[in-house]
Amino acid sequence: MSYLPSTEHDELRAMVRELADEQIAPRAAAIDETAEFPHDLKELLAQQDLLGTCFEERHGGTALDTVAQCILVEEIARADATTSLIPIVQKLGALPILLSGSEEQKDRYLPRLASGEWLIAFALTEAAAGSDVAANRMRATRDGDDYVLNGSKRFITHGSVANVLTVFALTDPQAGGRKGMSAFIVETDTPGFAAPRVEHKMGIRGSPTAELTFDDVRVPSGNRIGQDGEGFKIAMATLDRSRLSIAAQAVGIAQGALDASVSYASDRTQFGQRVSDFQGIQWMLADMSAQTEAARQLTYAAAARVDAHAPDLPYWTSSAKLVAGDTAMRVTTDAVQVLGGYGYITEYPVERMMRDAKITQLYEGTQQIQRLVVARQLLQRAGVDTRGS
Amino acid sequence: MSNDILFLAEFAGGNPARSALELATGAAELASQSGGSAVALAYGSGAASGAAGLGAHGAARAIVLGDEDRPAITYAGSLVAAVREAQALAVLAPATPNGRDLAAALVGTLHVPAFGPVRAARVVDGVLETEQATLQGSVITTARPSDGAPAPSVVLVLANTFTPAEGGAGSADVSQAPAAAGSALSRASVAESHPAEAKVVNLEEATVIVAGGRGVGGEEGFGPLRDLAAALGGAVGASRAAADAGWIPYQLQIGQTGKVVKPALYIGAGISGAIQHRVGMQTAEHVVAINRDPDAPIGEFADLFVVGDLFQIVPALTEEIRRRKGHEGA
Amino acid sequence: MKIVVCIKQVPATGADKRYTDDLRLDRAGVEAIINPLDEYAIEQALRLADDGSADAVTYLSMGPEQASEALRRALAMGGDDAVLVTDPALAGADEWATAKVLAAALDKLAPDVALMGMASDDARGSLVPGAVAAMRDVPLLSYGSELAVAGGEARVRRLSATGFDWIAAPLPVVATVTDQVGEPRYASLKGIMAAKRKPLETWSLGDLGLDAGELSGAALTTVTDARPPEAKAPTERIENLPPAEAAAKIADWLAARKLI
Repeated sequence: MSYLPSTEHDELRAMVRELADEQIAPRAAAIDETAEFPHDLKELLAQQDLLGTCFEERHGGTALDTVAQCILVEEIARADATTSLIPIVQKLGALPILLSGSEEQKDRYLPRLASGEWLIAFALTEAAAGSDVAANRMRATRDGDDYVLNGSKRFITHGSVANVLTVFALTDPQAGGRKGMSAFIVETDTPGFAAPRVEHKMGIRGSPTAELTFDDVRVPSGNRIGQDGEGFKIAMATLDRSRLSIAAQAVGIAQGALDASVSYASDRTQFGQRVSDFQGIQWMLADMSAQTEAARQLTYAAAARVDAHAPDLPYWTSSAKLVAGDTAMRVTTDAVQVLGGYGYITEYPVERMMRDAKITQLYEGTQQIQRLVVARQLLQRAGVDTRGS
Repeated sequence: MSNDILFLAEFAGGNPARSALELATGAAELASQSGGSAVALAYGSGAASGAAGLGAHGAARAIVLGDEDRPAITYAGSLVAAVREAQALAVLAPATPNGRDLAAALVGTLHVPAFGPVRAARVVDGVLETEQATLQGSVITTARPSDGAPAPSVVLVLANTFTPAEGGAGSADVSQAPAAAGSALSRASVAESHPAEAKVVNLEEATVIVAGGRGVGGEEGFGPLRDLAAALGGAVGASRAAADAGWIPYQLQIGQTGKVVKPALYIGAGISGAIQHRVGMQTAEHVVAINRDPDAPIGEFADLFVVGDLFQIVPALTEEIRRRKGHEGA
Repeated sequence: MKIVVCIKQVPATGADKRYTDDLRLDRAGVEAIINPLDEYAIEQALRLADDGSADAVTYLSMGPEQASEALRRALAMGGDDAVLVTDPALAGADEWATAKVLAAALDKLAPDVALMGMASDDARGSLVPGAVAAMRDVPLLSYGSELAVAGGEARVRRLSATGFDWIAAPLPVVATVTDQVGEPRYASLKGIMAAKRKPLETWSLGDLGLDAGELSGAALTTVTDARPPEAKAPTERIENLPPAEAAAKIADWLAARKLI
């Protein structure tokens, strides 16, 4: 399985890097400080056709391979983690439709997502159902040809700026989360829907993390994705792929922190020499670099296996997200250390990168959940029956 | 082939451009080295009556290409005819848009060596030798026409390379250009003219320039710079950032795509010193930079780098200069 | 109305540049980009295509095989097709030879407007556009901050000593534009992908009916010396002083050099 980057990958990386360096990086500090969603950068990414990379050409997308999609996210995240969530969540929200939607649903929604005219969000998590997805309580009650949705969601990235959502709700509460949940496409201008508040967060502050309420929100049955009861399966299949975007994001954050550290250390002098001349600092930088590269290569290896429809896909994507998230946290923390006092103040970007990195260990499946997934795959390979765990 | 040195003499509004006077002096200098004469190629409104006056700056003869106010490039046809007939050693042209256009027409039609823009030129043992700053000023090359190359060489000359000689008494012998073959280059014309109300100083002629950049922050921010320029008897210039932002007219932009200036004193306030600006002023004799960023690139090539707030330092400097000049006057 | 934009591939600004031992510009092994000033010409042409004034935009470049990269990058910004004129005889071509080749290629492409940027980044001179116009016997409209085409005529907005003029000439013309045209657009991802499929032809000197011998061989100018500029005295610095004191020190410095 070869995953050396191709010429096209290098060209894409150069194109996104130029855009990120010139237009995104200069905005990062202000986005973090004001905690405002960067609509202008969303427009920029849409204009550059960078929100449609996971969609087919017949829907107006550019159908890039998964490695290329990771490179795109990585290069944006290197400049600003918040902005990198725009293409990440556009894919996350659309995956249920891509994986299990009907052709009619795809034709109806995907073109506007590919062009960036509409933003989409993924509404699964609830206040009492985070890692424990099956504990979802939101209900979708059949009424004639419609479903009526009641309940609330929490921690929904872009929930307050999205035009459309993929929402998970119980169509059969008796059957419980695993068998009784279904997936729906809900347009946010539907009466009864509201995004009453967004969270104040440690990092990715420009990305609105919203609480959503559904009060008798009426959705036509043509907006149900797949069959009744398939929701849990669709959600898991989505997360098996979307967590790879988080791995790419984490790699990008780490790279940005590493670049800032190298630049600072080779410029700053103390005790009559450059900080980068000290062996202790060189060792730190070397570890940061090797770990970031390892995370990157594992992410690309997983990406190549997504495109190859590998049967053990969760093993790869969870491993990548596990390694990359922990790497981002470690590298950004070390970056603050390398910059010393300057690393702690907002004039330099690494403290923001460290705050941004933490989320990669938490969302789209905490690191603990990722470990469970990897362990299960490992034990299955070894022939151990894991159904009871 | 003669040892004469030809030069472009542009006239506008009845008067010779400063470049005409500079090149007259330069051509006379080269002519004295080559053993020939300096000959003006005069064009533009006022050329017919003003050409003789170029003798006071060193021109022995003057050929009038035309006296009308029309785009310089439309004189290319008669220029080529005059240059062909003259069979000179070199033709000097100013490194301005008009000078480049006419020089290009000569090179394209006659296939002769082209040099420039040069910062120095001389004739050594009958051979033209030029000096040019290349690769954004990082290398100085000396060049001459190759053995057997046809004459004349066309030389683009930067402003302020030659200083107009004062107070000569000569008068140039004036003649008309030979008949020119029709050329499509003459088919350009001014369709609309929009002169600005205020006169804008020609920065290439200024000996002192106070330039402002992004750090000036706005149109009003140029006020203190104007005061300083006035106190020093100089002109105000700007970086491209200030021109793009609309704080000053584009005619005052110094840099790769603006004016190339060579003042005795250049003071840059709130200018970072990016390469695109640097190539427009790096040959200034003395460079003073004022910037609150101690790591601004301009600090690397300035002669004097002042770290501080320009809105405090520039007025203080203006005050100090006025005070000293006041004492001198008393 | 058809536009051909002439572009050049040059070494990236700030990259380490050198002269070779035989005193020629060493272009090997340096990152190459579209001459930044040509990007404004590309942008101007694409704007005329966007507003319907132009119905075809072609890019033309003369250079080594590698120059096709610059043409692909231009096509990624927009435009229809590209032509690369390449021939070993053209290595180290001077401005006259470049103009001769471009003029021949332009005669073959026969555009209404042959559009170029101001000057190349790596070897100032900017004589190519005017030389091309003279060789083709076509009007030259130069140093435009804007180009407009209508009714069989082209006009450029050119700065005058105080304000600006619109200079006009009947088509076909050679025109050059400055950076005042405005920021060149980024190439979008679809643009980059489409660029790969747009036609890019390669022409040799033979295709243009030009004689290699006439164009190659000794250049008309010879560089006899290349040296670094005169060493400058190190920068003097004034910092951490109150404004009045700093001003006094600056004035002393100026006075010592007889500047005040």
